[in-house]
Amino acid sequence: MADKMDVDAVNGEKEEEKVGPAPDLTAERIITNNFNLINQAVDSFDARFTLRALRSIATIRKAADFPEALAFGIRTAFPKPQNNARRVLEEMLPESVRSGGAQQNGGGEVNGAAVKEQDVVEIAEVWVYLGLLVQVSDAKYWVYLFDNQEYQRGADFSSNFVDKIRSFNRRTMDPIGAKAYFYYALFHENLTPLPPSKQSPVIDIRPVLMAALRSAVIRKDDETQAAVTVLLLRNYISTADITQADLLIAQTQFPASAANNQVCRYLYYLGRIRAIQLAYTEAHANLESATRKSPTAGPAVGFYQQATKLLIVVELLMGDIPERSTFRQPSLEAALHPYFKLVQAVRVGDLQAFLKCVHTYEQQFRSDGTYTLILRLRQNVIKTGVRMLSLSYSRISLRDICTRLHISSEESAEYITAKAIRDGVIEATLDHTHGHLITTPAKDAYSTTEPSEAFHARIEALLGMRDECVMAMRYPMNKHRQEIAEAAKARERERELAKEIIEGDADADDGDEGGFEGM
Amino acid sequence: MAEHELKQIISQLEKPHNLHQAPKLLSKAKLGLLHLHALVPSANTSPQHILLATSVLEHGALLSIRLKDTEAFTRYYQQLQPFYSLPHERWHRAGKPKNQSKVTGLYLLLLLSVGDYAGFHTVLEGLEMSSGKEHIEKDELIQYPVRLEQALMEGSYDKVWGETKGERVPSEEFAVFSEVLINTIRSEIASCSERAYPSLQISNAKNLLFLDSEGAVIQFAQARGWVAKDGRIYFPQQEAEMLAAGKDVMSSSNTVIENTLGYARKLETIV
Repeated sequence: MADKMDVDAVNGEKEEEKVGPAPDLTAERIITNNFNLINQAVDSFDARFTLRALRSIATIRKAADFPEALAFGIRTAFPKPQNNARRVLEEMLPESVRSGGAQQNGGGEVNGAAVKEQDVVEIAEVWVYLGLLVQVSDAKYWVYLFDNQEYQRGADFSSNFVDKIRSFNRRTMDPIGAKAYFYYALFHENLTPLPPSKQSPVIDIRPVLMAALRSAVIRKDDETQAAVTVLLLRNYISTADITQADLLIAQTQFPASAANNQVCRYLYYLGRIRAIQLAYTEAHANLESATRKSPTAGPAVGFYQQATKLLIVVELLMGDIPERSTFRQPSLEAALHPYFKLVQAVRVGDLQAFLKCVHTYEQQFRSDGTYTLILRLRQNVIKTGVRMLSLSYSRISLRDICTRLHISSEESAEYITAKAIRDGVIEATLDHTHGHLITTPAKDAYSTTEPSEAFHARIEALLGMRDECVMAMRYPMNKHRQEIAEAAKARERERELAKEIIEGDADADDGDEGGFEGM
Repeated sequence: MAEHELKQIISQLEKPHNLHQAPKLLSKAKLGLLHLHALVPSANTSPQHILLATSVLEHGALLSIRLKDTEAFTRYYQQLQPFYSLPHERWHRAGKPKNQSKVTGLYLLLLLSVGDYAGFHTVLEGLEMSSGKEHIEKDELIQYPVRLEQALMEGSYDKVWGETKGERVPSEEFAVFSEVLINTIRSEIASCSERAYPSLQISNAKNLLFLDSEGAVIQFAQARGWVAKDGRIYFPQQEAEMLAAGKDVMSSSNTVIENTLGYARKLETIV
């Protein structure tokens, strides 16, 4: 799994970790190399070549001469300037590049000649790949132009682009198409008015994404199906349409063979929706898988951070305290600092500290989208406080509970403790006449079935993971036929050997060389 | 139907005595809206139509609360949603709908009283996203259900009791829910008390359960299956639990055997 790290972090950081081409190749060479890779992919019908080509997008982006290299790539692929496809792509590039590259037009590179001879059929993939790079180049411009117009142009281009892709219906184009949808959604997310306003243009792209999902399912296009489902969920969550997101999940199936990074994102969004709907156990399971499958180092660490933040909040809401070792990991330490303080306040059961912490880090929590969930933690703080008290005292008066937990009245304290007892937070009884809380001594845990149940859950999880790993192992297609052929040949040879040995033995002293030939 | 007829109907609806004729008036008003194509807001509905439609639907919502018709209220609320999500420009001179927070607050309270906490939080998330926290915090009509929910979750039922009594209630429609809420918290307190107290004196139970007389307490106790003897109430549930716990280890030996066999099988495939 180490070389499939194409994860894009949830909050918009788009970076990759890869085992790619050597860094001293210029962007132009990389693009032309990728043409060969794509053609290979089409010939052998193997998706891995396309994936390798897509992975190099990150290096190309960082290259300073990216637009020029892109223009060069477009010209090499479509040498005729009147070609309609080429014109569409070139329109999106900035002016300087278009005019400056005029002199390169004459140079007939070997690659260019080779590509010219290809069928029109195969160039479709190359065209789509170049279109993807143009989207990326527009995306790159927004980093330092930050001009609304660029988003708008990018958004318009992307809309036309994805329409064309949908009309293509070619399996070899699937991974590239999935990536194109991703950029399409990303452009629209940055148009004003920004979500979560209800007028945001992201609402307009929902029908398009839905149509894409339908076509993907009909054509059994797993990659696009996974990518578009994830994009739709992100869309719904950004405008807080949780019920719609829930319905989408209920009505569709997430393809089991999707790429790991899409599975990670899907689990994250699923966990988010369940957490809002108060289904904490489910949310916890989803988020735990998401964090386990996500990359923990390198440039894609942002996703891991976000997923862990949500996981911590859900754990707190379930009443468990996350382990301190989670906060110690080097990639997470700085990002999780406010959450660390939060966990400390909840652990002790100190309501004042909790409120102060929430107030100090309010902005951070809001931007993480966990603020509303954290507000729900108030009752957890109180419950933890009650639990701490019941553990340390065998008998405590209600008045003392009031003072400790800063509860307003004794009556409230009585009701709160009664509710805590009913919810199973503490094991105790109340003595109403004297106003005391009497804790029952804790039972020996090993005499019950709890340890074996915990073990069982753990073992099941590990066995499940092992099964998944075995199923995820990939073998190149048709290799097994080669193996069978080789095995048949080997058996043939053995048979001949055996025959010769027998013949050699039959005419006994007639030359031992006969038996040694096969060796 | 012309606009001024609609306005007439609205002014009739606002008069307090017409409670029983209200449904008929409302259906007439809705027909009028359909003629004007204003029942569902579209890109070219004029601001006055939008305002008319919103006031008709809001009146419908509030009246159905007074008539204790929760289904109708939910329907009106759903119909109002597209209007509430329109941007401010569509309203311009007409101003924002006056009763938006009231209707939303009432819907939240409805969700609370039936115990749909998931729906409650979902709606609250949507509100926070669209209007921002400062708005919500200053809005008393929305803070009321939020405070109630907090108090319910914590378990400080006396706070809930205090809020639903008299003065704290923001408006009369909210008072309609108070009864339902009190019943809810009474059953909550009852189930908490069953686990928490070995036994309880009847006078104490009266205070705890917010009941008015000892007779009511005994009735309530009998309804829940408790035993009332010489001035004390005994809760029967605890003994049943002790028995259940005792069976634990013995009956689970089956499960342990099954699990271990499963492990052995899986391990064989690995090794």
